[in-house]
Amino acid sequence: MTTQDLIEKLGLKALSKFEHRDVDGVFVSDMLSDVMAGVKSGNLWLTIQTHKSIVPAANLVDVSAVIITSGKEVPQDTVDLASKYHIAILSSDLATFELVGKLYGLGLGSK
Amino acid sequence: MPECQHQWEMTNIQFGFVSFEKCFHCNDLRTYFSAEDNPILGDKYREGDHYWSRVENAQTFTFDLKCTQCKHTEKFDDLMGLLHCTGCLPDCDVEIMRKKLEAEKTWTVVAFGFLPKAKTEPIPPHKLDTLTDYFNQRRDTSRSKIKVVPFNLIGDLARCKGDFIHDVGMLSLEPPSGRKSPF
Repeated sequence: MTTQDLIEKLGLKALSKFEHRDVDGVFVSDMLSDVMAGVKSGNLWLTIQTHKSIVPAANLVDVSAVIITSGKEVPQDTVDLASKYHIAILSSDLATFELVGKLYGLGLGSK
Repeated sequence: MPECQHQWEMTNIQFGFVSFEKCFHCNDLRTYFSAEDNPILGDKYREGDHYWSRVENAQTFTFDLKCTQCKHTEKFDDLMGLLHCTGCLPDCDVEIMRKKLEAEKTWTVVAFGFLPKAKTEPIPPHKLDTLTDYFNQRRDTSRSKIKVVPFNLIGDLARCKGDFIHDVGMLSLEPPSGRKSPF
């Protein structure tokens, strides 16, 4: 499954500029330190955090995309930084719990 | 016996805060790790000629890296945090290196030791290489790589506007206003 597939199947909004890539597993956390310790390359990262710090953290651990849940507004400087480094920032109006259920239904789990 | 090709994993993870203290007498800065649940800002005290005041707390974590093959553990109790170079100072050695490495799809991350000790005893190069290996082992390196470099390459700490990759402001869901130097 790719980020393109997920956008189409789940109605996600693509906020930054990036190249689509394969998605392998899901990681849910709102703590960067937890992400840096636990995420695996290719994971989707679900969070409600929109601070600019999520971009270098996502780059460091090579996630396939960051999905901001619960329809939270993402500051433009976060989007701009993500676009600069081709990090996929996606947005969903669904709460994290609901989105996790849908991702699980699509066959994605923790990796 | 062949040398081990280490495969690193994090171990001894401890969550806490990195606390920044500034002397309002001489503007000196020092940092330390605090495992307190709720470190207080503005805590002031005198120590010799210094008048220290705690000016910032940021959520962070400490960890060591352990090789899953040979069980060797590399301790990182001297690592305060990792900083993403924002290219704020064109004449900074980190920025010069960042531009050069960017062309090779390699992203530069600065490893910070605790101040002021790290000024005289920076994190040794072999430990920076271990950090580089750890993050690259967890990435698809056909896409891009990470290079961890020492903070003493930063030409002027007072003007550096790099982004620490830790949970700054993460206790609040609102983004901090403006961009200021962490120092």
